[in-house]
Amino acid sequence: MPLSTPARIVSELASRGYNAEPAAVTRLAGAPESETALERALETMPDDALKLTVDHVDSVLDRSESRAAATSTPGQDAETGASAVTSATEPEDPSVSTGTEPPNSPDVGDGVPVETKGSRDVDISKRAIEVANDMTGDSTGTGEYNDFVQVFRDRYEKLASKLRGRVNHRPTDAIENMAGGSEAALIGMVSDIRSTASGHWLVELEDTNGTFPCLVMKDRPIADLVQQLLLDEVIAVDGTLADDSGILFVDSLHFPDIPRTHSPSTADRPVQAALISDVHVGSQEFMEDAWHRFTDWLHTPEAEHVEYLLIAGDMVEGVGIYPEQDKELDIIDIYEQYEQFSEYLKEVPGDMEIRMIPGNHDAVRLAEPQPGFDEELRDIMSVHDASVHSNPALVTVEGVTILMYHGVSLDEVIAELPDEEASYEEPHKAMYQLLKKRHVAPQYGGHTRLAPEDRDYLVMEEVPDVFHTGHVHKLGWGKYHNVLALNSGCWQAQTEFQKSVNIDPDSGYAPILDLDTLDMTVRKFT
Amino acid sequence: MREADERYFERLESELDTAMDVAERARERGGDPKPEVEIPTARDMADRVENILGIDGVAERVRELEGEMSREEAALELVDDFVEGTVGDYDTREGKVEGAVRTAVALLTEGVVAAPIEGIDRVELLENDDGTEFINVYYAGPIRSAGGTAQALSVLVADYARALLGIEQYQAREEEIGRYAEEIDLYDKDTGLQYSPKEKETKFIAEHMPIMLDGEATGDEEVSGYRDLERVDSNSARGGMCLVLAEGIALKAPKIQRYTRNLDEVDWPWLQDLIDGTIGEDEGSEGEGADSDDASGDAASEGEESDDGEERAGPPRVEPAKKYLRDLIAGRPVFSHPSKSGGFRLRYGRARNHGFATAGVHPATMHLVDDFLATGTQIKTERPGKAAGVVPVDSIEGPTVRLANGDVRRIDDVTEAREVGNGVEKILDLGEYLVNYGEFVENNHPLAPASYTVEWWEQDFEAAGADVQAMRDDPGTDLTDPSAAEALSWASDYDAPLHPKYTYLWHDVTIEQFGALADAVETADITATDGAVMEDTTTAADGDLVLENTDLVREALERLLVEHTQESDRLVVSDWLPLVRTLGFSRSLERDWTLEDISEHAKTYGEQEAADAIGYVDDELGDEAGRNAIEAVNEISPFEVRERAPTRIGNRMGRPEKSESRDLSPAVHTLFPIGEAGGAQRDVAAATKHSDSMTETPGRVEVEVARRRCPDCGTEGHEARCPDCDSLAETIYVCPDCEMEVEPDESGRAECERCETLASPTQYTELDIQEIYRDALQSAEERETAFDTLKAVKGLTSEAKLPEPMEKGILRAKHDVSAFKDGTVRYDMTDLPVTALRPAELDVDPDRLRALGYETDIHGDPLTHPDQLFELKVQDIVLSNGAAEHMLQTADFVDDLLAQYYGLDRYYEFDDRDDLVGELVFGMAPHTSAATVGRVVGFTSAAVGYAHPYFHAAKRRNCDGDEDCVMLLMDGLLNFSKSYLPDKRGGRMDAPLVMSSRIDPSEIDDEAHNMDIMERYPREFYEATRELTAPEEVEDIMTIAEENLGTDREYTEFRHTHDTTDIAAGPDLSAYKTLGSMEEKMDAQLHLSRKLRAVVESDVAERIIEYHFLPDLIGNLRAFSRQEVRCLDCGEKYRRMPLTGDCRECGGRVNLTVHQGSVNKYIDTAIRVADEFGARDYTKQRLQILETKIESVFQNDHNKQSGIADFM
Repeated sequence: MPLSTPARIVSELASRGYNAEPAAVTRLAGAPESETALERALETMPDDALKLTVDHVDSVLDRSESRAAATSTPGQDAETGASAVTSATEPEDPSVSTGTEPPNSPDVGDGVPVETKGSRDVDISKRAIEVANDMTGDSTGTGEYNDFVQVFRDRYEKLASKLRGRVNHRPTDAIENMAGGSEAALIGMVSDIRSTASGHWLVELEDTNGTFPCLVMKDRPIADLVQQLLLDEVIAVDGTLADDSGILFVDSLHFPDIPRTHSPSTADRPVQAALISDVHVGSQEFMEDAWHRFTDWLHTPEAEHVEYLLIAGDMVEGVGIYPEQDKELDIIDIYEQYEQFSEYLKEVPGDMEIRMIPGNHDAVRLAEPQPGFDEELRDIMSVHDASVHSNPALVTVEGVTILMYHGVSLDEVIAELPDEEASYEEPHKAMYQLLKKRHVAPQYGGHTRLAPEDRDYLVMEEVPDVFHTGHVHKLGWGKYHNVLALNSGCWQAQTEFQKSVNIDPDSGYAPILDLDTLDMTVRKFT
Repeated sequence: MREADERYFERLESELDTAMDVAERARERGGDPKPEVEIPTARDMADRVENILGIDGVAERVRELEGEMSREEAALELVDDFVEGTVGDYDTREGKVEGAVRTAVALLTEGVVAAPIEGIDRVELLENDDGTEFINVYYAGPIRSAGGTAQALSVLVADYARALLGIEQYQAREEEIGRYAEEIDLYDKDTGLQYSPKEKETKFIAEHMPIMLDGEATGDEEVSGYRDLERVDSNSARGGMCLVLAEGIALKAPKIQRYTRNLDEVDWPWLQDLIDGTIGEDEGSEGEGADSDDASGDAASEGEESDDGEERAGPPRVEPAKKYLRDLIAGRPVFSHPSKSGGFRLRYGRARNHGFATAGVHPATMHLVDDFLATGTQIKTERPGKAAGVVPVDSIEGPTVRLANGDVRRIDDVTEAREVGNGVEKILDLGEYLVNYGEFVENNHPLAPASYTVEWWEQDFEAAGADVQAMRDDPGTDLTDPSAAEALSWASDYDAPLHPKYTYLWHDVTIEQFGALADAVETADITATDGAVMEDTTTAADGDLVLENTDLVREALERLLVEHTQESDRLVVSDWLPLVRTLGFSRSLERDWTLEDISEHAKTYGEQEAADAIGYVDDELGDEAGRNAIEAVNEISPFEVRERAPTRIGNRMGRPEKSESRDLSPAVHTLFPIGEAGGAQRDVAAATKHSDSMTETPGRVEVEVARRRCPDCGTEGHEARCPDCDSLAETIYVCPDCEMEVEPDESGRAECERCETLASPTQYTELDIQEIYRDALQSAEERETAFDTLKAVKGLTSEAKLPEPMEKGILRAKHDVSAFKDGTVRYDMTDLPVTALRPAELDVDPDRLRALGYETDIHGDPLTHPDQLFELKVQDIVLSNGAAEHMLQTADFVDDLLAQYYGLDRYYEFDDRDDLVGELVFGMAPHTSAATVGRVVGFTSAAVGYAHPYFHAAKRRNCDGDEDCVMLLMDGLLNFSKSYLPDKRGGRMDAPLVMSSRIDPSEIDDEAHNMDIMERYPREFYEATRELTAPEEVEDIMTIAEENLGTDREYTEFRHTHDTTDIAAGPDLSAYKTLGSMEEKMDAQLHLSRKLRAVVESDVAERIIEYHFLPDLIGNLRAFSRQEVRCLDCGEKYRRMPLTGDCRECGGRVNLTVHQGSVNKYIDTAIRVADEFGARDYTKQRLQILETKIESVFQNDHNKQSGIADFM
């Protein structure tokens, strides 16, 4: 739905002192990006002209079509690195996308919420957003032993149900009593992985009856899969029992995984969502200028379809995250950080629908699932009615299911798995692993912290269409079994710490997702 | 050696021999693992080396070589002997190398530490890829205790032996080189290295290393890259190897090079590259970068220290250093912030109970800091070292305090300190802090400007022409405590600096305060003691000076440390004449100067002292220039006024002192296994009644014990002696696979030839605890009522699992002493040094001491009076009261053991503790394997073990708060057995594998040689301190113990500069130990911080929160959400909660290991402290957020409680 009506176009032209041929107005109003087209038409008008002609509009429209083709990066191209993105989206004409002088929003002072920077003329009645898996206000765990047991049992049940169809599962205690040499299959939670003296892999699997050792021979092709295993994920194995029935020789190994047949849902109309993360307001390295350029751009016609803004955590830099952090803070007070964040949020068009989840820098518990903010913080950010859901949360936007998770477990996945499976340079590959395991943070007892609740909120029960994370400050995306995995970059420049460990963050990018096609464009604002 | 010393040692050795005879006879009879005493005696280092290694012939050869060459050269020389087979009895080449390497490490560590036996696991021959052989040395964690030089030299020795034996060099494979680099990096991150070599450096070393360095895995962290290598067993970091490569080879390259140059067979040309630092980029900064925490900090501050004095317009000062404040702990107070006015004042000298990493503090100070300091309390200090043990010295100045009524008094008396204690509102000054010259030598710390003290002034006075000796002899004159009139006349008559007694701390007041004080003096009144104003002020010296009470004047007096009393509108100073004369006033309070006359230089002097090391700006002083009035004073004063206390030393409490028996946890009476039958208490009586089910006979317990057989009658069992014919049984090794008996080879290894597995010396068998217990009671001639509980162990940890005779446990239980892992009874005490003592303070009669060889006092007069000072002999020690009590109990146990178990005569037969004097004990420090024989000379009420510094050094300890143990001689001889030692890495550490019967001063830790032994420090020394001179630059005018080594005086003439009345003065125990909960301690700590002028209380609170509470809270919250769980019934641990919910091993109840209670334990306290003591908002907010985070984990949102009020 074009945002600009003929009437608005006329009034805009008039405000700038131009007349127009009626046909030219119609052409502009009918153009897919009418505001952009209008801007461009006005910019490129001969200095002495007073009237906008159809010919001129046509020439402008031709050119912007070719540009559109150039800026939309094919989503399928999963392997595109950040540099390629930059070249593809680098705006040729600064006045349009990242303009230093943003075009005035036509609606300023015209019925827009006072506290936001201005809204756009959009039909919000077509919007639809639903949130599932949000445990904010429903945290019932009290840190008892049984709460933990409950969570792990729930995980086992949910993930085992994904695997039951693929193997003929026998409980561990039943397998123990089977005849040596017989075929057996088992669905279990990985409780231990060890390499034997001779280089084979001993994987101990656990179900609700007990544990059973499974041996993966090093020369089998599936040995590579063992390298991908994380503790406490749930897998299925098929194999042959040893003569004394004391161990299972594994022939095949299955992950819960995303079905290859998965076909993602899409929106019914051309509407877009900006998927960002790791804003880090309050840090001395927060990139204020890039943020301004981003929010300015959101007001341009080019961004007229961007109706949703999803933020995957770390809205602020927080306090006490690491020792002597105060020396690197721009805003020392945590509440002031959120107030300032709220100020930055006001720059976003008032009509935008904003959804957020907390990250490890936010002022909520670090143990996952993390609930959304408490009332005090929500009040600070009351502008825009921005909703804060728990981490992780499943947000369905006009039919497209987006799993939002901050991404703390990515560090562990990257550390534990071989480089070719997961690295900081290609964070989306680490996300593929999580999709495959159908769990956002399987490994317990290591890097990731777990808060026991009445169920395991970290399981991906439903297959998402999009998996959106942040945390590692690297940009990367690609598709895994038709699920778009996206790790947004950040809005924080390289910190001293990152410099010391040679991490070069991808800062100032805004990935824009077409909800109707699930194609993605990455825009750079630095 | 003097004849007297010879007599002393012979006496010790003859007593030792007597005891040995008794013990040998006893061991022949009893059920001990060996029929002889298992602690061999070593008369010197060579003996120790031989005994610790168990290689015959080493001692003789070491003695031969010792006279001719250095110890390092001797170690290399011995390689020839090993290779040729003239020393050691090794058939294999790897055995020869191993012997040589172990011997080298033992030699370089003086045969005391456990590194040579525990730190080197084995040496083996492996094959290079070209089929040639190379040497692999397999290190273990305890190699750490050898130190870098010995570690590095062990490699060189191995290489030299390799060359002599004609074995090829090690050719590292690519992946092995990569592995070294990755592993050392991993180890450094995980555990930390003193020196972290760059990756290139490590690879360079690995490429060139002629022998392979390997070792035992010491951590759980595994390398990720170079895994599963053929020639490397483990994927984990090998700690010993990492230490040898990084802290040995890489760090000590120059030292190794010195020795490779002398060896034709060995050539390590690559060392030069390492030394030049051409490996890896920016090598120049390596030294600092590697050691960023320790060395670079010190180096930087030292650099500044030496440069600054000259350039700035200010007094000579050392830079404040705040490192000692790091990791401040709740409950252990800060006494002074870095170099802050009001803190301890540095005074040079060595007291008789001082000088080996100790700090002398006035006992009145110890009381006034709310008893937090006691004799032996460790303090972390700003300089010269890192830590020191506190000793009471009352011949230095005490603290100055302001009482609640405003009176300012210096307290030089413990009784007075106790009396005013509660009335102290502010501790204006902590008093003096005695540090000896040797401390600066040992720490290589530039000398810090000295306080102006009597011992310095006397020399100034003498230099000014006074006949000091005559005055000293004049009974009418007290040079240390002159009257004001005397002091003033000396200053003017001889043109000497003013006596320290009347020298105030002018450098601590500002020009403004100085001016205000002068103005106040100008308008002051003189009153008679009755308060009447004196009319004739010219003769008013007897009256008191009455000054107007203004803030500036009062603060000035307080900072100057001028004693006065206070009334609402006036300040009254008695003995005021020197004060007003110093200020350029006449006796009638007239002056001929104004502030305008003071030079600009004097007015702006001391600008740099604005902010201190913690960035805290003293409000009292404002921020203007002219913070030091000393120059101004000297411009107007008729005589020279020296800086009274230019160096202040910050410090905080470290560890509390210790004097308690060493118990295993839980305490154990007998090393006899009873499994789970005794319950958690391991109660033998309970085990006799225990049975798993109703059908079983009670008291039958299945345990793993030794498998032995009597060679004479063939009876099999688990005991050391045959129960039937009493001959010594032999261990039987049985192959676990084929169950065949295996004969152990010469080295004691028993491998089954058929199965190629190691045979086991143990068996699982059912013991009848009831019967064993009954028999033991009978044979020990005791009844069950003689003791409360007899505690045994669950299982044995030794290799052969030979149980101790239960009789010993019964007698231990009877006398309430417990056994350490090696069968001995031990008592731990904090080490403190002492070189001269009085019979009175030892609670020992002079006659008794004369009988021990103390015939004269330090002046050569016969020792007859309890107050005479005598010089302590090097192996004599003073026991704490607790230790004496414990020794008496142990002696009773030993006597009962001899009489009732071994059937011999009682040996000790003590009636009271006086009988302990003259008895021999063992001193033994952790991480070492050699005990040192000591002799009890008396007792102290302090909770420490005072002994000669050489005794401590012989155990390889200094006195900076370290602690170690004593054992009663006969207990060690009778009950120690190597067979009880745990069969694990480090099991032979802290066990007396050998004893030194006499101390050779040349063979002890050379730190003790740096102790100064002078009666007074020369004037040039004091003057040098003001130049911030390096300590070695004054070594010619100073005398340290090193100078007497090898001479007749090596056991004597340990002089001291300062006496002290009582070596146990001050509180008996630190308040840290008498206060109850952590919170109580912390409240006391914060309360004290408010009282001390030298302490910024908000900084203390901030640090407690930052370093104690927040890490605790954050750590526990993190730990909670990734915790292990444990079975309450069988103790099995699980990384993650089992899905079954119950224990997979025993079906028992599993529970969390981190509970809510341990997570939120401190949150309320932390929030309260932050509020009360003015922590920063940032800190408060962190706590607040943490609180909500904790709540979020533990609170059910559906069932929220807003407060306790909801339930009322």
